[in-house]
Amino acid sequence: MIRLEKICVVYGGKKVLDDLNLTIKAGEFISVCGQTGCGKSTMLRLILGAERPTSGRVLIEGRELPRPDRHRGYVPQKYSLFPDRTVLDNITFGPEMEEFGILGRLTPAFRRRRRELRDQAHGFLRQMGLQEADAGKYPDQLSGGMQQRVAIAQALIMQPKILLMDEAFSALDPKTRLDMQRLLRKLWAETGTTILFVTHNVAEAVYLGTRVVGLGQARVLFDIEVPDSARGQDRERFEKLVAESSHVEQADYEVSELTA
Amino acid sequence: MSLFGSLFRVDARPSPLTAWTLSWFLFAAGIALYFYTSYNRHIENPDDRVVPTLHQLGQGIAGAFTRPDTDDQDAPSVRFTESMIWTDTVASAKRFIWSMLLLIPAVILGLHMGMFPVVGKFFLRFILFFDKIIALSVLPILFIAFGIDELAKIMLIVIGVTPTIILDTVNLTKGVPPEQVVKGFTLGAHDFGVSYLIVLKQILPRVLNSIRLNLKSIMLFLFAGEMIASQDGLAFRIALLRRHMGMNVIIPYVLWVALLLFLVDLSMRVMNRKLHPWFHE
Repeated sequence: MIRLEKICVVYGGKKVLDDLNLTIKAGEFISVCGQTGCGKSTMLRLILGAERPTSGRVLIEGRELPRPDRHRGYVPQKYSLFPDRTVLDNITFGPEMEEFGILGRLTPAFRRRRRELRDQAHGFLRQMGLQEADAGKYPDQLSGGMQQRVAIAQALIMQPKILLMDEAFSALDPKTRLDMQRLLRKLWAETGTTILFVTHNVAEAVYLGTRVVGLGQARVLFDIEVPDSARGQDRERFEKLVAESSHVEQADYEVSELTA
Repeated sequence: MSLFGSLFRVDARPSPLTAWTLSWFLFAAGIALYFYTSYNRHIENPDDRVVPTLHQLGQGIAGAFTRPDTDDQDAPSVRFTESMIWTDTVASAKRFIWSMLLLIPAVILGLHMGMFPVVGKFFLRFILFFDKIIALSVLPILFIAFGIDELAKIMLIVIGVTPTIILDTVNLTKGVPPEQVVKGFTLGAHDFGVSYLIVLKQILPRVLNSIRLNLKSIMLFLFAGEMIASQDGLAFRIALLRRHMGMNVIIPYVLWVALLLFLVDLSMRVMNRKLHPWFHE
């Protein structure tokens, strides 16, 4: 369980988050939406441990964890992969690092284990809808959608308890974005990982989340459960409600037509 | 459109032949000017040694490549590996390699300064100050402190080049997107794992480029040390021959040094490309 208690974040005298309280249960899929600069990414970085609040506490399983760790996976919008490693090496980096560290890589056991991990990574690649031929490519040889698929595989191979995604699909074209949304829903259903997905796209927030949290004016504007009907016949009405509540600009709201 | 018509056009696209001709033109002009000057000087004074003729240069090159390092003008020819130019090259190369090896700790220090704020705070101000010291101005201090042996010459290079490499590495380290560092932690890496396996690996091609661009500075300090206090080395030979106006050997030596530096630069570029196929400048 994740708890944010009376969180206040101030940058240069400006309150980005003010007295923010939020509880996220294990296995939930939370979409966080709101206008640009409303503090969505800051909230995600607080949970990630990459940032500290000016005041308040972030508790993960009842403990304050001051820095990122292997239990919290992270998929940012940009720089999600290591540019100097191939797709396969990107995916296996985590387990290799965890099991062998730096010097352990020099041992013969590392070579044996590496082969196993690479086989496992091939499995993840297939699960993500990538080809075997992509395994040896470097990130800059992949499209944006493929890069994000690899980034998700890279995070999931660590079996994190929480997966934090910061506008992870924002740079993708509508078709790829929809594919990725479906893939993410499927993976969430299979793994039961707690996911916190930051987006400024209302349709995406509603489609993905079991709960949508809207941020604005440095606080939580609304926090609503998403009924299954919101992904069916009530989709339009629900999206409109969320868009109005979160003051998301019309341009972002209209994206829902593309993702329908 | 004529070549002159497109001279200052930003959209000019010279043909391959024009590009090739343009790129070699100044070399050809320089050589032509040299021999024109040499010819005219030798008409006025057949014994002129300031701008040697092609024949004199040939004699100088042959001497450098076949004569041993001795004052005896009648010494018999020797193999290339015993020749004057080879022994000088080996002596300078040893100092050069030592200096390059001493850049490794500089890179490591720069990485740590960029990654760990406490280490950064501890060293940065001092290195910034150190960087402003003109290395050649401390040469007398070095010779007094370390004697006139190899150590002083290598220290001169270290003082002259390492602050630049350290500061470059710090900047490159800080230029790595923070997302990559956070990502490293979420994938189970600890501070040193993130520093060495993520950040260092990503900045290494740029660090090598930085070292490559500083090769000339390294050579400059190496030459300064050799010219002032040395018994061998390429710069020692050039300084020695200057006293005898041995331009027919000095010029080939200068060209030889340029060629060696070009080859080191080229091999570093090739190595960088081979080691880091993902890196595109």
